[in-house]
Amino acid sequence: MPVDQTHDPFEDRLSAALHQAGGTFDTDRAALVAAGAVRGRRLRLRRRAAIAGGAAGLALVGVGGALLVPSGAGGSPQHGSVAATGSGTPTAVAATPAAPVVSADDMVRTLTKLLPKGKVTRGEARGTDSPLPPLAQVTFDDGKGAGSLSLLVDRVRGGGETFDPASEVVPCPNMEQPDSGLDSCVTQTLPDGSVVTLIQGYEYPDRRADTKAWSADLVTPDGTRVSVSEWNAAAQKGEPVSRPEPPLSIQQLKTLAAANEWRRVADSIPEETRKPSASTEGSTGDATSYEGRRVLAILTSSLPDGAKVVSSGNEETEFAYAVVNDGKGESYVQVNLQHNMSDAAGALYGSGAETLPDGTRVATRQGPGEKGGEGVVMWTVDTMRANGMRVVISAFNSGSQTTAATRPEPALTIAELRKIALSPQWEVLGA
Amino acid sequence: MRQVRADEYAEFAAARTGHLYRSACLLTAGDTHLAEDLVQETLGRLYVRWGRVSRADNPAAYAQTVLTRAFLTHQRRRSSRERAVDVFPERAGAGADVPLRLTLVEALGRLPAKDRAVLVLRYWEDRSVEETARAMNASSAAVRTRCVRALGRLRELLGEDIGEYARP
Repeated sequence: MPVDQTHDPFEDRLSAALHQAGGTFDTDRAALVAAGAVRGRRLRLRRRAAIAGGAAGLALVGVGGALLVPSGAGGSPQHGSVAATGSGTPTAVAATPAAPVVSADDMVRTLTKLLPKGKVTRGEARGTDSPLPPLAQVTFDDGKGAGSLSLLVDRVRGGGETFDPASEVVPCPNMEQPDSGLDSCVTQTLPDGSVVTLIQGYEYPDRRADTKAWSADLVTPDGTRVSVSEWNAAAQKGEPVSRPEPPLSIQQLKTLAAANEWRRVADSIPEETRKPSASTEGSTGDATSYEGRRVLAILTSSLPDGAKVVSSGNEETEFAYAVVNDGKGESYVQVNLQHNMSDAAGALYGSGAETLPDGTRVATRQGPGEKGGEGVVMWTVDTMRANGMRVVISAFNSGSQTTAATRPEPALTIAELRKIALSPQWEVLGA
Repeated sequence: MRQVRADEYAEFAAARTGHLYRSACLLTAGDTHLAEDLVQETLGRLYVRWGRVSRADNPAAYAQTVLTRAFLTHQRRRSSRERAVDVFPERAGAGADVPLRLTLVEALGRLPAKDRAVLVLRYWEDRSVEETARAMNASSAAVRTRCVRALGRLRELLGEDIGEYARP
């Protein structure tokens, strides 16, 4: 019973009556629990996938199975399909005979070889002898229903040029908008420096049909693009859904896009048919507008000297990670950024938490990891600015949270983690 | 969600869902469909935030706060769609049209949503005025005012001897 100065016996009776009345309500709890988890999963996907300003930020699938990608200058808001861009460019075909020609048949053969066991039916295909980028489209059935699959290889930069693949890969949209038509979108950096965006969405963003379209758009540091999409229907449009999800998992799709075979195909594309080199001007324009990338940039720039970043990645907002190695083994470091968390401050920062003169609260935790890696410890500094912006940074003594410990302690000390969490650099994201 | 966390979440959800549902039924004044929806919404949000919820001092209280806010958000949306809802609670008037035997839940239904939330947090959840204010994103003064008003209204509707009306 809440105690108040003016205690009223009516309040006691009300409390008892509420408990009596409340106790009469019951339902199928198990069903409710299950429905809650379903909603949670959906909510999580939606959060990760909301598009800023509707479909403009990212057009998923274009005619001819090509991914729609930023055309021309990286970061330009204008989007066009790779195929269309290619066809619109004046083309002088196959003027570099030195490169071995990859035929349309080769494309289909290579794709078939890289797919899991199943029945492959050839659709449209192009080799490097075409003025358009090499392409293989197939119908793939692993025995659980036919799905359509389309893979396109292109060069976005000439050989020898160095550039940031993140400026060229399809950016994940800002995910705050609820009705994105996407279930998930995440951009990752692979160990070889390639950047890949993995998208789980629908053929029709308005979901007029249940056809799902999943894609991986990968750009290597030397300028090869591999865009692969798959559908849970035998054709991209107009065919009924044949299975609940497309045949390959999104991870398999990523692996397929990253296969070395496609780099060889890209090397065979004659110079003249390659896309004009994108201007480097403003090439990070898009990148900086995505909070997750900024979180990653702040994290990597704040790491102590000697901590080399082995791999890194980020979600569209709120989350980034880096695997660092200081010479004594890999260490996974992650940052979560949250806004407007003041209401949860009481629950998050108990009486043991420290409060700095500017009102920032700081809590430190050192304990076992949460995700099952053997011997993994997790060191966390959890901070909240007076404006409710929360920065939580954790470091692990392993290259991932799920693999066994590879070193006695994380590569960063609590003091170093604290310094990063309290860095004034975060303030720019706190608006 | 990784397995360990997923298990923790499942355990928490299994243990707390019954209570959350009963709270939701009181908040919604017996609208069990809406109550189920709100509990699903609450569980969904907890699922997404489980990493931080599980580290909270009192995850059960946190869950109740999430539920209360989901309810208030729902009411706000509904009242922006249906203007009439705003005036509905006043319709019960000064007692002339009160049925002879009004149940507690029916009486709750005649209170404005925020008053109901205050009563549920204070007298069902046993939260202090300050805790209630935090959960509702309101000032303590506003909660006190609402509480006094809501208690007065219930007295009016049910009489001093509220206990005999508790059965739905």
